Amino acid sequence: MKYLRQFSGQTAQVVQRVSGVLLLVYLFLHVRTIHELSRGPEAFDAALLTFRNPLFKTLELGLFATVILHALNGIRITLIDLGIGQERQRRLFWVYSVGIGAVIFLAGAIPLVLAAMQRS
Amino acid sequence: MRNVLSWYFQRITGALLLILLAAHFWVEHFMSAELRRGDLSYQAIHSRIANPTWQFIDIAFLLVALWHGLNGVRNIILDYSRIGRRATQAISGVLVVAGVVWAWWGIEAFRNL
Repeated sequence: MKYLRQFSGQTAQVVQRVSGVLLLVYLFLHVRTIHELSRGPEAFDAALLTFRNPLFKTLELGLFATVILHALNGIRITLIDLGIGQERQRRLFWVYSVGIGAVIFLAGAIPLVLAAMQRS
Repeated sequence: MRNVLSWYFQRITGALLLILLAAHFWVEHFMSAELRRGDLSYQAIHSRIANPTWQFIDIAFLLVALWHGLNGVRNIILDYSRIGRRATQAISGVLVVAGVVWAWWGIEAFRNL
């Protein structure tokens, strides 16, 4: 039992690190796009045009999910480091980070998908 | 002591990012029907990003995100490797330089608004 708890905590830690690195890679790409602002309206709008296809829409939703998972899991890790909920940490990962995360994801993703579908 | 400070700072910046990111998502993707469709354009965001208050918020957001992200990378490197003081300092130095250049690259985006 103790092993399982530890395993889950370590897995959650790895999830946190992999998602964190992915978000940093995204931040690089994001600044790269935003930097096009300095080259004027045409250059910026041309850069944005890249992101208007279904592939990038899907990647955007993946990014949204990654952000939510990283944020909620980060809160969970902080609480555990502070000694809160240590006995329940495995349940917390699934119920809290994954469960509540899924609800927030759907609340954000559904309006975006519906709006995107209306346009096309 | 420095590690404790670093730990706290990672949590504080994380909490700040939670607030800033929620606001960022709302303002850039949910506030209007145009944004929900994903029809971002220069014109759609120009008045906001030309506003100095928003520029301040966006730049602060970038700096906090860079701190959190690069400090996270530092934690990962130090955790998975056994290196001495010198190498640790070298890694920290490289990450600080990367952060400064990256921040400047972002701030520069507002140059011609």
